[in-house]
Amino acid sequence: MSSSRVISLDFQCSTPRSLTEALQALNQEGAQVLAGGTDLVNNIKINIAEPRHLVYILGIDDLNLISVKGGCLVIGAGARLSDIEHNRQVVSRFPALGEAINVIGGTQIRNMATLAGNICNASPGADTPPILLVLETEVDICQLDGGGDISHSRLPLGGFFSGPKKTVLKQGQMVGAVILPLPRAHSGAAFRRLARVSLDIAKINCAAYIEREADRIRLARIALGSVAPTPVRAPTIESALEGQKYSERLLFQVADLVGEDITPIDDVRSTAEYRRQIASLLVRETVEEAWRRSRGQG
Amino acid sequence: MKIAITLNVNGKEYPLEVKPNEILLNVLRDRLGLMGTKYGCGIGECGACTVLLEGRAILSCQTLAFTADGKKITTVEGLEKDGSLDPLQQAFIDEGAVQCGYCTPGMILSAKALLDAKPDPSNEEIKQAIRGNLCRCTGYTNIVRAIKSASVAIQNRGRK
Repeated sequence: MSSSRVISLDFQCSTPRSLTEALQALNQEGAQVLAGGTDLVNNIKINIAEPRHLVYILGIDDLNLISVKGGCLVIGAGARLSDIEHNRQVVSRFPALGEAINVIGGTQIRNMATLAGNICNASPGADTPPILLVLETEVDICQLDGGGDISHSRLPLGGFFSGPKKTVLKQGQMVGAVILPLPRAHSGAAFRRLARVSLDIAKINCAAYIEREADRIRLARIALGSVAPTPVRAPTIESALEGQKYSERLLFQVADLVGEDITPIDDVRSTAEYRRQIASLLVRETVEEAWRRSRGQG
Repeated sequence: MKIAITLNVNGKEYPLEVKPNEILLNVLRDRLGLMGTKYGCGIGECGACTVLLEGRAILSCQTLAFTADGKKITTVEGLEKDGSLDPLQQAFIDEGAVQCGYCTPGMILSAKALLDAKPDPSNEEIKQAIRGNLCRCTGYTNIVRAIKSASVAIQNRGRK
């Protein structure tokens, strides 16, 4: 007799100590990666996920690393959100990523969950994908080749999501790392979200990355979540901003164009109509903050 | 399938055999008899099941027991030392930070992780640290005050 809810599904598990061992285990039918478990364990409890074999990857020390290599910040698939949030490189070079992580769940969730897991869960409303998209993040996908060696391929994050809660990962593949190019000089990034209370999942979220040339927007990248089947970039508004002299007036003129890039729906958290209306405000605020940061201001 | 694991709970080693689907919370409560850790929502939102894993606050209802093999776990039962309460426990009593008490073990452990990492937190940092612990009775004011007063008590004790 248990004094709390139990998991009725039976499954096997393995606790690999190396990436090769993990990939071997993942080749089995019905095998799935277990990292922090904050989504997966819940989904097993409520019968949404029915794995036959869980491969627990947080015992692989190499996967927990966060390091700068070849002009990129490489975040291992095992790095917990709280470690990333407080990492010195992230604090100094990617403050907007830290801010997007900070709004996720409570301290306990961030001590358990991983960034790679947040991506692989592929929720349309997840808080890290928009900022990762505007920073041109790539995903390192690992698998074993015919000879049993590890092969890596890199995929831009934009091509990683294939639908709500769906990614392009195939059986036997796993994410080894999340790779972010270091931001250029005169750039700034920002993240904003709207939710009912702080622990809630976002009604809508938005990230922007701006590269500045004197008083002009040389390059603009904007992405939003919870407004389409997957997190999306907003190319229409990006091209309307690029090459323009920055002004508040410009932002007001172009912000409504975000409607061209999103396809929101009604759900428990909000309505399509509200999301449409608030998206342009959110874009304005986010771009404004990214611009300020590109000028070295807060 | 059964896996042999060892949990180090409150300084004591427990060799156990667990099934892959056993949840850490259930192992602590039903097999080790440590009923201080509470089952609240079961879906990672309320924080009642919070324990410390290697000193960090985590949710035991979202943790499969086999993943905690070889790890140090602290539950609320592990805070008392030589018959006296932890300063946090004492402060919760003194400040009236407990009403029904169901959230208290999780709340205290989240606060413990905070004070271990940052002995002199601001009220804002305290609120951030317990953001994942819901209390439906107190309105949090006394809880924040208790954590603040425990931090002062711990620092004063350190000076003596």
